Amino acid sequence: MEKVKVMIVDDSKVSRAMLEGNLSKTNFEVCAMAKNAAEAVKLYGETKPAVVTMDMNLPDADGIECSRRIHEMDPEAKIVMISAMKDASLVAKGREAGISAFLQKPISTNDLIDTLMILCQNKVGKVAVLRESYAKPFVRALQQGIFSLIGVHSEVELTLDERHFLDMSGGVAVIIGLTGYPNGRAIVSMESETMHKFSMIMLDKESPSAVTEEEGSDSVEEAANIIVGRGVSNINDVFKDKEMRITPPGTIVGSNIRIASPKLTTFRIVAKTRIGDIEMNVGFAEGE
Amino acid sequence: MWDLRKGNDQMDAKLVNPFVDAFVAVMPQMGFPEPKRMKMSVKTKNAVSLGVAVIVGFTKQLRGNIVYNMSEDTAKFIASTMMMGMPVAAFDEMAQSAISEMSNMLTANAATNLTGLGLEADISTPSLSIGPDFQVKISDDNYLTVDMDLGGHLVELDIAVEQQ
Repeated sequence: MEKVKVMIVDDSKVSRAMLEGNLSKTNFEVCAMAKNAAEAVKLYGETKPAVVTMDMNLPDADGIECSRRIHEMDPEAKIVMISAMKDASLVAKGREAGISAFLQKPISTNDLIDTLMILCQNKVGKVAVLRESYAKPFVRALQQGIFSLIGVHSEVELTLDERHFLDMSGGVAVIIGLTGYPNGRAIVSMESETMHKFSMIMLDKESPSAVTEEEGSDSVEEAANIIVGRGVSNINDVFKDKEMRITPPGTIVGSNIRIASPKLTTFRIVAKTRIGDIEMNVGFAEGE
Repeated sequence: MWDLRKGNDQMDAKLVNPFVDAFVAVMPQMGFPEPKRMKMSVKTKNAVSLGVAVIVGFTKQLRGNIVYNMSEDTAKFIASTMMMGMPVAAFDEMAQSAISEMSNMLTANAATNLTGLGLEADISTPSLSIGPDFQVKISDDNYLTVDMDLGGHLVELDIAVEQQ
């Protein structure tokens, strides 16, 4: 997946570094940094970023003038003004100069990402942003979680799940709700045979058959709680101001089960291990 | 008020009522006859699915899960009523979507009721499970089951709540 290019225009080295840091763990990639208006216009032409963050105070012209010049060059340019002051007259002048959004300093990472996401939706699609910024943290969590819980290595694959449901022929699925932004749910599931092996290692039993059905599903439930919790922590590390939380698990056991989540954007994460496939399905509501 | 004993503790009816009240208040707004409370019991074993079970989780000051448990026939009846009486022959994606939407609305309404008690709860998106033979576990110890009669159809509410 291609990263979304951002250009930062700011005369302060500290501000530039902070913005770059905020964006480093996300789907956005800083392709250029300009410390004045002349440099901004030149670099915009050279790097063609999808979106620009614009400081108000620049040594050679103000942020509005700089935005006007960029807009003359590219009427489709997406510019976010970041300023210490935000009043009606600044917003009005800014809109005229082609600025699409205004953020006030100090900016929160979450507001910044949300704003960039909304501005770039047409170019990259919300799905790509959800995948990079929200689904990928769960990929790491699943792989690390499986290893730390049962010491088993896995090959992990992430795909967009266009079916909006998952089928299980016989086994366990642990559903954990996600609240905050975006809200959704994560489902950790495995077939019965894998569950018994998983639980055997986790509970230190001598054989898979020594594990009762209840012990099996309880082990997977506990593991799912840890893995999903870790995934959410990975996300909260990036979006420090808005806390995503998990609900208590709801655990489904049985056979021939279909779990559907219509209207969610869902991703399927499969961890292939020597004891079988361990699946995680994370889905996010598209709107807030 | 219900007094639900669990060992020495007591599952607080005031935490469960908002979910039941939401069902009673919201369903008529969607064109259903007023639901009637049938029986209510405390359970410890897994809830047995009646065919279609929607789980909605919630967290913040109140943590837990609610399951809207019903037969596929009931689910089709509900979906059809929600879609202005449009016939629903199969429990397809559109019908599933209607049931999910209903579960979302009911739980959101319950969360609003809880805010009135000074308790905040954020809800997750609903997950709808379908199948002839499965069980749902929503609590490590006990939870409450309320049978609701909705125009001759049974909707079972399984509710596990825990105050933080």
